[in-house]
Amino acid sequence: MSAQDTVLVVGAGPAGLSAAATVAAMGKKAVIVEKEDVLGGAPIISGYAKLVPSGEWAKDAIGRMVSRVEGDGNVSIHKSTKVSQLDGEAGNFTATLSNGSKVEAGSIVLATGFTHFDSINKPEWGFGTYEDVLTTSQMEQMVATGKIQCPSDGRVPERVAILLCVGSRDRQIGREWCSKICCTVSANLAMEIKEISPSTDVFIYYMDIRTFGLYEDKFYWKSQEEFKTKFVKARIAEVTKSPDGRLLVKGEDTLVKRPIVIPMDIVVHAIGMDPNALNPEIAKTFGIGLEKHGFIDKAEQYTNSQGTTRKGIYTCGASTGPEDIDTSIAQGQSAGSRAVADLFSAQKVAV
Amino acid sequence: MAIHEKTLIDPDRILQHDHLVVDGVDVSGSWNTMISPRTLVDYEPDFEKIIQSYGGGENVHRCWQCGSCTNSCTMYAQNVDFNPRYWIYLIRLGLKAELMKDKDIIWQCVSCNKCTNICPKDVRPEGVMKATAHWLEENGYTPKTLSTHFDEEFTHQCLEFGRIEDTEVMMGFFKRSGQPLVQTWIINFGKNLSKHMPLGQLAKMGLNVVFRPKTKSWGRTGEVLAEYVKTQKEAAHHG
Repeated sequence: MSAQDTVLVVGAGPAGLSAAATVAAMGKKAVIVEKEDVLGGAPIISGYAKLVPSGEWAKDAIGRMVSRVEGDGNVSIHKSTKVSQLDGEAGNFTATLSNGSKVEAGSIVLATGFTHFDSINKPEWGFGTYEDVLTTSQMEQMVATGKIQCPSDGRVPERVAILLCVGSRDRQIGREWCSKICCTVSANLAMEIKEISPSTDVFIYYMDIRTFGLYEDKFYWKSQEEFKTKFVKARIAEVTKSPDGRLLVKGEDTLVKRPIVIPMDIVVHAIGMDPNALNPEIAKTFGIGLEKHGFIDKAEQYTNSQGTTRKGIYTCGASTGPEDIDTSIAQGQSAGSRAVADLFSAQKVAV
Repeated sequence: MAIHEKTLIDPDRILQHDHLVVDGVDVSGSWNTMISPRTLVDYEPDFEKIIQSYGGGENVHRCWQCGSCTNSCTMYAQNVDFNPRYWIYLIRLGLKAELMKDKDIIWQCVSCNKCTNICPKDVRPEGVMKATAHWLEENGYTPKTLSTHFDEEFTHQCLEFGRIEDTEVMMGFFKRSGQPLVQTWIINFGKNLSKHMPLGQLAKMGLNVVFRPKTKSWGRTGEVLAEYVKTQKEAAHHG
């Protein structure tokens, strides 16, 4: 296995799995390095329910991506492993892994993804204080069990509130980006909740609804019109508890111009996508730049798509900013192809 | 203490007794003023279903608050309190007390249907206004309209006799709507009718039945119209 045959793929989420499969399909070797002990990335590790927009269960859809690379002779996999050092340059990198082995690669794809926003950083919304305040990931895990109930006492919730833009679009906590997919995920989640528990009413508290492209009618309209999700324009100020044990969402209803204090049984935070918490370390190891929010900085897009600030190193998926799964997969293919193209040009130079 | 910015507070939230003595202390008038909080403390999510059960209200749940209806509204141009977009929001969340504040203007919708024509979500706001007005009326929140009185008398006669009798309908309508049975305009109508009994016209109408005259300069108009209708029909079926 020489450097000129090999692409190093860091991260085995949807983007990384897609990149590795692309490299292998083009007859080159892909070496996957994944820091967790399972492949599949956030959808598997955080236990997502049905994916947007396919509606397929995460474990089935991403599971297929995992078995595709696991069954491929051109792909080798290092789990529970990080890249601890990178030497060399484009066409001839040598990566030293935390398990001691060395990988020679002509080019690299960083599919290092994102970190879910930690709701603890918005304490006024009750996460960590009240048992019945959950994140979208936790609620998806509940949906996957097929039973909707309040964690505190197991009762079927009469009402669920989903708060949008938790950890997004919030200068106060340094998150000046839209996490892109939470509106759609929340509209979808509301439908899943209603499907499992028809007596539960779901309220989505929003500033704007950004169900982009074809997600508009498939998720937003459908959720509102067929599943009776109520969309309420209000930025919630605080979540507290009433003496009867129910949660109270406090805020101002933007359209009625009146303060509201509304009882709810479960409050779900539609958490945003932060830059991968390890990005400073990744940037240092790989010698690449980060953009101002802390995501991986992209090269000029028009002729150097999926490029980073360093030659021979490409990136894809949510590493460069909030991204949806379908786009991450497409970017994975794109980054994989560019990495393979580099191998060919390195060969030409060698000849 | 007097309230200096009363305009900022809905009048119904200012609670004040003209005469009040507490523990022997006279706190009449502004000394006992209380202001109830303006916080909304709950929704009535089933209210939307009630409005949907009235003709025209079926699509109210589709609204996403773009405001096209209010923007295009004939009545809004006259009175900015006439805001269909806002009422639809209140209906959807079941904020009935807020809706009730406008109960005396909701009926003013003139059914120009500009809102329904422009609505991107096919909510049919004109229908929602109608449904809401009917709900208000049926529950006694607003008095019955004259047309409702008329409809009721008309329906009553149909069901009772299998036919209506014009004079009876008018009398019943006057009775139901609390109007005097003898009205000046009826007296004048009778007087003028007898004064100008159109004998000539009646005779002409009789002759027309016999001779079937055509409209002046009718010419080939009928033929052309018939031909036009025929081609339109053909185009519609084979187009």
